[in-house]
Amino acid sequence: MSRKSERLVNLTIALLGTKRWLTKTQIFQAVDGYEGEPDAKERMFERDKDDLRNLGIVIEVGSFDPLFDDEVGYRIRPDSYRTDIKEISSRELSLINLATSIWQGAVLDSPALSALIKLKSLGIESDLDSIPAISPTINISDDNFVAIVDAISERRTISFTYLAPDLSQQERVLEPFGAGTKGGYWYVAGRDVDKKEIRLFRLDRIDSQVVKQGKASSFEIPQDFAMSSLLASPLKSEIATLKLRRGKAHRILNMSRIIEEGDDWIVVEYPFRHQAELLADALWHLDDIEIIEPLSARQEIITRLTETVAAHG
Amino acid sequence: MVKKSTPTQKAARMLDLVPYISTHQGIPTKELADEFGISIPELLSDLNALFMCGDDRLDLIELEFESGYVSIRNAQTLNQVRNLSYQETVAILLGLDLIAKDLPADRSDLLADIDSLRLKLGKGFERVIHASPLAKGDVVAAINGALHAGRKVEIEYEAVLDGALTSRVINPIETYVADNRDFLVAFCERADAQRTFRMDRIRSATVLDKLAARVSSAPIPDEMVKATVRINSDSRRSRESLGQFISGAGPDVEVSTYSFSWLARTVIASGGAMTVTGPKEIRSDVASLAAKALSIYR
Repeated sequence: MSRKSERLVNLTIALLGTKRWLTKTQIFQAVDGYEGEPDAKERMFERDKDDLRNLGIVIEVGSFDPLFDDEVGYRIRPDSYRTDIKEISSRELSLINLATSIWQGAVLDSPALSALIKLKSLGIESDLDSIPAISPTINISDDNFVAIVDAISERRTISFTYLAPDLSQQERVLEPFGAGTKGGYWYVAGRDVDKKEIRLFRLDRIDSQVVKQGKASSFEIPQDFAMSSLLASPLKSEIATLKLRRGKAHRILNMSRIIEEGDDWIVVEYPFRHQAELLADALWHLDDIEIIEPLSARQEIITRLTETVAAHG
Repeated sequence: MVKKSTPTQKAARMLDLVPYISTHQGIPTKELADEFGISIPELLSDLNALFMCGDDRLDLIELEFESGYVSIRNAQTLNQVRNLSYQETVAILLGLDLIAKDLPADRSDLLADIDSLRLKLGKGFERVIHASPLAKGDVVAAINGALHAGRKVEIEYEAVLDGALTSRVINPIETYVADNRDFLVAFCERADAQRTFRMDRIRSATVLDKLAARVSSAPIPDEMVKATVRINSDSRRSRESLGQFISGAGPDVEVSTYSFSWLARTVIASGGAMTVTGPKEIRSDVASLAAKALSIYR
């Protein structure tokens, strides 16, 4: 087993150290471990190239003489191999240290660790005292997230089964443009190939493995695409007038404008988006919230409560 | 942490060891293994393999590690820090996104650092990824610190059920994750009982000098509320609102919870999408809570 890893390292050294293109014959001579029949060597070399590519190492293929393409050569350009990050301050490294530590136990923990190692190899010491004690948490153990990140990077189409609002299972095909988290949930956004528009999907509603399909670079991420705006809170253009019992429903109170304060009640204006959301908020708080306006919502909550009483009688 | 690495992962680590050792000459073996998240035997196997590599058979990499300290020479070709992969960049940038939203208001200097890092790490990523945290990072840090140091914490907490804001002194016991959320189990001095707090509802946390009281982490023998619930409509939303407490495929599901009030509010807030079908006592308790809510409109 270890022979394979040594061969990969030696192949990297050979291709990285050369100024000229190396032919396969030269590679087989210079790098230990290519043994056996010519066919077997070829197959070994093809697999090794794929493995190095998967590590993000770009192997260039070219020929010695542009007029004769009889024998191709290979090399790794040092400027594509090495990071172009040169200067990083110790405070910046401390931030990266914190940013990568968030992934401990979550799905990107090993890339986070290898990223930190690489940046520490630049030879800067981090200065952890320079940043405040904060530890944001990331709770994602869903392997689909890694598949999605890879698909975005390769610009490959993905498919998966998605739970619809009625819990029916839908097959979706997506050109993934972006991924992210908000409010404890994880999302992927992209162009839904069947619906022909940009859609947002919640990862915990994906009911299958995310499968990459088709070729790499099969689409472009639109210039005006921004994951942050897809995850931004929707505009709340409606205003309700509510009576809140003093000391209760602080979340609602925080998002509202106070109109009038009494001993037991506070009257507020509360922005909302859809009546259904307003009703759910008010119903949750039982007799701690009274909807004054809009009248349609007031009528509706009376109907819903009457029905709930009847359904449980 | 102990995962058997594939030859490719091992090769990647060998490549990354070279520049790391070069800037950390003489690093103790243990420290190096910890940095790479591997065991000492695994590290020694990596180093032995690296020993056999070089520009050609007469010009091998020189490694010295028998003394328990690691140093390297003659590794010019590999002595460069590799490019960050896409996954690595995404991991850093999502983490920085979360940190940026958690920074205290007076640390705009760090926000500027984060912006400069975003540029250094790669243009275009800011369109593709985005993260905002649920719980406040300074709260999580304070709680973790208190757990570690065994201290009491004073928290400002917004109750999940009725949204009341209270200040309380707690003795943290443990944290856990369920349904994508962070929870804290603690002995609450105000309630004089063990309580579970949702981390995202803790507004502020101050670690106190006082040592936390030793409390058992045995669960409180609260009575389980078991009910059957019929999902009439909005199946996905209804199931999600019952979260981890549900069993059965539906439309009739079993719900087990420690909080009747939570169950009643969840069912009533569904606005008719769910009905408790049994037992009778819970049905009538839900009916009377809904009737009480209705009474303010009469």
